[in-house]
Amino acid sequence: MVENRKASAILTHVILIAGIVFLCFPVWVALVASTHPGEALTKSPIPMWFGDHAVENYRQLLIEGVPAAGGVPLSTMMINSLVMALGITFGKIAISLISAFAIVYFRFPFRMVFFWLIFVTLMLPVEVRILPTYDVVASLGMLNSYSGLIIPLIASATATFLFRQFFLTIPDELVEAARIDGAGPIRFFIDILLPLSRTNIAALFIILFIFGWNQYLWPFLITTDQDLYTIVMGIQRMVNVGEGIPIWNYTMGTAVLAMIPPVLVVLVMQRLFVKGLVESEK
Amino acid sequence: MAELKLDNVGKTYPGGVMAVEGANFDVADGEFIVLVGPSGCGKSTILRMIAGLEEITQGELQIGGRGVNHLEPGERDIAMVFQNYALYPHMTVRANMAYGLKNQGMPKDQINARIDEAARFLQLEPYLDRKPRALSGGQRQRVAMGRAIVREPSVFLFDEPLSNLDAKLRTQLRAELKDLHKRLKATFIYVTHDQIEAMSLADRIVIMSAGKIEQIGTPMELYSKPASTFVAEFIGSPPMNVLKGDSVGGAGLLSQYTGTAGNVGYVGVRPEALSLGKSGLQATVTLVEPLGAETLVHLKLGDDIMIMRGAHGIDLAPGAEVHLSVPDEALTVFDRDGRAVVSSA
Repeated sequence: MVENRKASAILTHVILIAGIVFLCFPVWVALVASTHPGEALTKSPIPMWFGDHAVENYRQLLIEGVPAAGGVPLSTMMINSLVMALGITFGKIAISLISAFAIVYFRFPFRMVFFWLIFVTLMLPVEVRILPTYDVVASLGMLNSYSGLIIPLIASATATFLFRQFFLTIPDELVEAARIDGAGPIRFFIDILLPLSRTNIAALFIILFIFGWNQYLWPFLITTDQDLYTIVMGIQRMVNVGEGIPIWNYTMGTAVLAMIPPVLVVLVMQRLFVKGLVESEK
Repeated sequence: MAELKLDNVGKTYPGGVMAVEGANFDVADGEFIVLVGPSGCGKSTILRMIAGLEEITQGELQIGGRGVNHLEPGERDIAMVFQNYALYPHMTVRANMAYGLKNQGMPKDQINARIDEAARFLQLEPYLDRKPRALSGGQRQRVAMGRAIVREPSVFLFDEPLSNLDAKLRTQLRAELKDLHKRLKATFIYVTHDQIEAMSLADRIVIMSAGKIEQIGTPMELYSKPASTFVAEFIGSPPMNVLKGDSVGGAGLLSQYTGTAGNVGYVGVRPEALSLGKSGLQATVTLVEPLGAETLVHLKLGDDIMIMRGAHGIDLAPGAEVHLSVPDEALTVFDRDGRAVVSSA
């Protein structure tokens, strides 16, 4: 190891660079494809460098929509996706913080039963309970609405479990000091627990936002109104144009647009997340 | 400022484990009381019951003449300093100190005035805007004290506040604590397992063992008139030599005793009461520990080991045969249950 430092440095770099190229290639193709006119992509060789249709393609996508795929502008879909993803993220964080708080800090009958109930639902993904959930949402008249998109997805056993584990690591003396300082449960929650959970919240925000953004099956089931379509559904509709020539330029453009918000969230929150990690220690 | 009254206060855990059997004692206003004992003796439980962190399962606790059994900790007019400081890690020193007052709804300028005063007193002024993790252990403990001081409570509770600090800092902060008590003139209740801390700080010591109070008294009372062999062997460093009355050494010591002995079980003598003489008890030196100002000499009498506190530079080697002189008034006699026999002498 020590003797071959230079050779091993070169080798590791080559492997890493190869990995990056391998991972980035599809993204590159998508970016390039979204800047060409549709016909350019049906002929081989497919172009590897940007074309001159970027502005037209994206304007068509964002403002007018693609007639072959329903004609809904992507800006509407992106806003729908954003509302849904943020709603799911904030909802999940709020609910799991509160339920973890109850499970860790309060002694009530059947506390452990509730904990295990929550824990067991970890094993049930949305797809498993999709029929009963759909039935409930339909009877509550929440089809084709933001609340119908968001509310059924905001209970999170994973996040509850994560916050529970974190709360258990907070020393009892801190709770006791707060009690002596005259802080009741709600004040303790807001003044002490929330600030201490900052890093966990940031980490979860990233994961949950992407989870929410990428929802496909659920919005597909409960929305029939085009104005409520999300962008992930939009990609699928681009691919399924039926008998026409595949509109790869628009499909790829949609994919690129769908990627931007999650990338931004990761970039912004990651900085916060790392800062939190460096700053707070117990 | 308030006095404290524990009337048969006890704690039994749900499983039936009794942590504290009914404790009875009063604490005068402005008194410095130290609860001392080995770990698991219930001293911390008593402190936590006074604080309201632990439910009292029997008896009544009064602070300043009012029963507080069912009051929340925040309503008891107490402040507590924890062993691991328990500072809020995400708050600055100032915010840590302000938190309790803020919860009481005190106006901001008044809070700041109190914090500034406490910070000056504790020499924390340069650190007010730092977070606890940027402070050393000693500074953190000062902040924890500051957090208690600004609330101006009637009773200060300390749960082994110096145990996490190194020896030098401990000595320094011990002196500061004593000074603090003098200046605040408040009631202090302090828990420690370190008998030296207890001796040097306390007006009165409550010494506990296995959930029971063994003895309550001033440090000198406990030292010179231990109520039981437990107290005798807990207080003092090295502790009192306690020998069985019917062993070789014990019988030898008892032969010097002139008081009414009665039902003798054990006999004790402080290391410093022993001295070398021309005649008297014969013993063999087994170990010599020179400590600078003094020298500890381990002696063997039959099967018994005793420690003598000798002068600096005492010239003895292991194996030497010596004679011990023991003044009879230095002996403490205990009955077979380990309780001190009150002698008329």
